[in-house]
Amino acid sequence: MSLRKFAAGPLCALPIGLFLLIGFAAPLLAVIGFSFMPPRTFGLFLNPTLVNYIEIVDSTSYISFLWSLALAAVTVAILAVICYPVAYGMARIFGKWSMLVTLLFTIPLFVSENVRLYGWVLFFIKNGVLLGTLKSVFGIEADSWLFTTGIILWGMVYVYLPFMLFPMTLGVAMVPDQIREAALDLGATRWQVFREVELPLSMPGIMIGFLLSFVLAVGAITEAKVLGGQRVIPIIHDIEIAFTYAQNWPLGAALAVLLMLVVGFLVLLVLRRFDLDAILGRR
Amino acid sequence: MTQFKQSRRNFMQTSAAAAAAFATGGVAGLGSALAARPKELNILCWEGYNSAQVLDPFRESKGATVKAESLTNDPTMINRLRAGEINVWDLINVNNPWARKIMYPEKLIKPLDRAKMEPYFEKMMPMFKPPYKWAMDDSGKELLGMCQRFGPYSFVVNTDKVSREAAEDQGWDLWNDPANSKKYGILESDDWNVFGLCCIAGFDPFKQHDDADVAKFTDAAKRVFRGAKMVGDIATMNQAMISGEIDFHLTGGTYSASPARHDGATNIRGITPKKGPMRDGLGGIAWIEVTSIVNNPDVSPLAAEFLEYVQDPKIAHTVAFAEGTFNPVAQMGSKECFDLFTKEELDAIQWDSLEEEMSRSIEYDIVPDYDKLLDIMTAAKREASGG
Repeated sequence: MSLRKFAAGPLCALPIGLFLLIGFAAPLLAVIGFSFMPPRTFGLFLNPTLVNYIEIVDSTSYISFLWSLALAAVTVAILAVICYPVAYGMARIFGKWSMLVTLLFTIPLFVSENVRLYGWVLFFIKNGVLLGTLKSVFGIEADSWLFTTGIILWGMVYVYLPFMLFPMTLGVAMVPDQIREAALDLGATRWQVFREVELPLSMPGIMIGFLLSFVLAVGAITEAKVLGGQRVIPIIHDIEIAFTYAQNWPLGAALAVLLMLVVGFLVLLVLRRFDLDAILGRR
Repeated sequence: MTQFKQSRRNFMQTSAAAAAAFATGGVAGLGSALAARPKELNILCWEGYNSAQVLDPFRESKGATVKAESLTNDPTMINRLRAGEINVWDLINVNNPWARKIMYPEKLIKPLDRAKMEPYFEKMMPMFKPPYKWAMDDSGKELLGMCQRFGPYSFVVNTDKVSREAAEDQGWDLWNDPANSKKYGILESDDWNVFGLCCIAGFDPFKQHDDADVAKFTDAAKRVFRGAKMVGDIATMNQAMISGEIDFHLTGGTYSASPARHDGATNIRGITPKKGPMRDGLGGIAWIEVTSIVNNPDVSPLAAEFLEYVQDPKIAHTVAFAEGTFNPVAQMGSKECFDLFTKEELDAIQWDSLEEEMSRSIEYDIVPDYDKLLDIMTAAKREASGG
């Protein structure tokens, strides 16, 4: 009986365990393995070397790393400011209209990111929807907004907004009304209720939104390519060039491993500062 | 709708083959036991050959399953074969130097039946007169592939902003003129941009470069990327030129300008410089696609049939105007094929200047120190970030 009990769990977990091993761990291990192979080779079992990592340290790849991290950090900051009021409205104010707001934010997700970004190109391009209208209706001739760092940020905020908004909305909805009311009854000001009750209690949702949008934004490439006209080269673009035109898979793999390490370190740093388990009340 | 059709007899045969294979050597044996692929064809190609317009008539006439994957640079395709996909693909469609200089010496492709296929070259445009250099191996004995699409590919201008005459005269120096900063874009075609930057720096891309050349290249790459308004794909370049964001772009020609021209924007024009740093003072670079049969141990018999199929005048015209970009085809040398092109189509592919532009161009070749120059260019692009 005890043997059967012992075996049931691992046995049931075996299929999903194998699936994860093949689908998740194997590609990751292959990337890590490739990063130690000699440059511009295609085998996974050659003499390992650190030369790809040395090349990255000696190169100007740090520029791309910094751009990716900076753009992601600014995107998350802008999203936090934009999304909190909307999340608050969806959780507490909009009532039956919150479903409509949810739909308005989710429907664009059904359209490919590339198509939506090319739509923005047509909107912002010289003599396009915006500048063309300004010129023909008001006689205002403005410079193009495309192919700038600002427009890349615009695109990133636009694309990653739902990934911040919905976890944040869940976080705000987790705050019980009674606690807010109790705080107000005990004489807390509106600001004190926000700072000492609502914000800490909605922190799990906010943190998940931060992490999700940051990790996705660090991996962004299309916004810089389509809207930014490659005026900024994020690290993912460097990885793409290594795997395509340069045909230097080991270098691309080493860049990818470093990116994983940097992002993993930053995420762990945040998780140490904000313990999600503790916030969620599990311990 | 695809249906799974298998009779009891087929099932028994397959099962027996599988059992025999496992008994004699496991999974590897299974592969060879079920090797024949009479109704299956896999093509690795540039866009166009993967379009339904080209493939569907072949699928229907042969009752075959034809899969085509399109990529937009040659090195990636060739490295797919090097990395083991030689067992997957039957045909590979890349630009001219790769077949004779890389793929055949590395045994990635196999020769065609010369007696059967070479007569098709007789019907092509005069420049493809057999034995056509880029279709042959170094010894001149083996036919390595069939030619179809080709075109000059240097740069593109909006002739409303820079006249054709002025652009042809100034040539690559357009990028050496500081007054043109932020007036141009760069097509995201990194291998070709290496060629263009060599020309801007004043030397032939397709020779071994010394330190002085590399220094000039580094300087040109930094300057050109700093001065670019943007880097993007063909759609972005054409759109930016039509809207007035830029006046010209690096790396381009019939292939990239034709979609805009076919859409009525005939002021977007591929330019071949009148002079330049290449052999005999030539200023332009041209590409010619060569489609070869992969050295697949189980190559499909349909591979050779497909190469013949696309020689048909109607199919050649379809290939020229398949979805994506539009290009001249070698088969326009036959009247039957040429007559299928409308005036607008000829205008889209700049037929009026094609011969002249090809005569001013050298053929795309392997850059001996491509890796080094590409790394320098990638760094220059990165360092221009945010500028």
